[in-house]
Amino acid sequence: MFARRTTRKTLATLHSQLIPAYASIPLYMSALISLRGIRKSFGTSEVLHGINLDVYPGSHTVIFGPSGSGKSTVLRSMNLLEEPTEGSVIFEGVEYGPGFPGAATARGKKIELRRQVGMVFQQFNLFPHLSAIDNIALSVHAVTGKSKDEALERAAQELKNVGLLKWAMNYPAQLSGGQQQRVAIARALSLDPKLMLFDEPTSALDPELVGEVLAVMRQFAETGMTMVVVTHEMGFAKEIGDQCIFMDQGYIADSGGADFFDTCTNKRTKEFIGSVL
Amino acid sequence: MEDTPRLNFMWHLVWDFRAELLRGLLTAFEVAITALILSLFVGLLFALMKMSRFAIWRGIASTYINIFRGIPALVSVVWVYFGWSLLFGYNFTVYQAGVIALTLLYSSFFAEIFRSALEAVHKGQREAGQALGMSRLRIFRSVVMPQALKIAIPNIGSMYIGMIKDTSTFTVIGLAELVFVMQSINAEYFQPFVLFTAAAGLYVAAAFLVDFVFRIVEGGFSYPKVGRVKRFLTRRKRAQIQRLVDAN
Repeated sequence: MFARRTTRKTLATLHSQLIPAYASIPLYMSALISLRGIRKSFGTSEVLHGINLDVYPGSHTVIFGPSGSGKSTVLRSMNLLEEPTEGSVIFEGVEYGPGFPGAATARGKKIELRRQVGMVFQQFNLFPHLSAIDNIALSVHAVTGKSKDEALERAAQELKNVGLLKWAMNYPAQLSGGQQQRVAIARALSLDPKLMLFDEPTSALDPELVGEVLAVMRQFAETGMTMVVVTHEMGFAKEIGDQCIFMDQGYIADSGGADFFDTCTNKRTKEFIGSVL
Repeated sequence: MEDTPRLNFMWHLVWDFRAELLRGLLTAFEVAITALILSLFVGLLFALMKMSRFAIWRGIASTYINIFRGIPALVSVVWVYFGWSLLFGYNFTVYQAGVIALTLLYSSFFAEIFRSALEAVHKGQREAGQALGMSRLRIFRSVVMPQALKIAIPNIGSMYIGMIKDTSTFTVIGLAELVFVMQSINAEYFQPFVLFTAAAGLYVAAAFLVDFVFRIVEGGFSYPKVGRVKRFLTRRKRAQIQRLVDAN
């Protein structure tokens, strides 16, 4: 039923039919972030072929799929870390990104979007020259303009929330992978984001360290934080996912609600889930 | 045996003229450090230009770097000192001419050092800063530059030693640095072997000193912090964080 070579307009209309999860979402609720017709090309090869996606406040979206399917690129286009070639990112009613040729609308600034969206990377990307607490305090000080003392206090609170206050003065190199990722989560949360993006947060970790990071993520998921998670941890995805997206070859190939893993009927999706679980 | 002149090394000359020699070495240090500070700034500027999105900036920077990397110190200082006054009628003092010549030469090296150091900083670091919503300037100042400096500092140290050595060619314009002082003493006593051996020794000693100082500086930029100096400088901050940890 998924037509590959459709125009943008028909894709947009198809979209609501394609994602049955929306049926369970009240009509009066508007999406926190929407992707509209996101296309991305690297050189001549197009890796995303017009992605439409809505993420509702308080929901947990999980994106999975084989490598090279474009799932990270979708996530990274949500805060315009990867600037789409075409398409719009609509966050709380403000349009960001390049938009569509010929359609001139007012555009928000990238930095404004990024200040409302937190991101956690596969490789943690902590600043190695700063201690754990300074990693967070620098971000708070630089982005919110709070004084350095206030920023340190906030940083201490955030570290406490991820259970790492004792390690405040350690440098990233002196922390385990799991601890580093928890600091990275604390750093993103210290800016009070309305949306959190997780780009394969456990893929670079030793298997025995995955648990602690997932526990922290679960903890924040339960507080009602809106999250979009790209992950290979199918167990975790099944557990927290309200909206499940299966990506393949630059398309959203299949999607569903919280019961997606049990009810999906698409052969390709089942194949993939079967191979990973 | 009669034909062989008796070697008569007047090593005491080094001690007798110790004040003059040290003053010469100090002059060399002084010119080199002024030029170091200037060329760090100029070098960084050209490094940024060379990494610019705009081809014209990159072109200007590449041209500058390739020209001044290729000119020997002797040629450069002669040109600045004599050439400038011939063309524009303005006379630099020997000190100024030395500093300008060194800055022109070494800023091109520093540009390359900075560029490679800036490029060596992991791409994810910039992305993390962007994702957090930091401004470009803030990312550069607080995230990229501290890491790049750490990478660049050992190279800057080597370059500084090179700068001190290159001041020896400024003898030609009459800058009273170490070799100039040596030559004046030599003119009177004709003891080239003694004096130039002493000069070599002093330059080597200077190199050791610079190396020592740069090691301390490097310690300050390394992470986790090493060295007593750094620990001393950060003790207040550490106490503050300790209080926060205890309070929570």
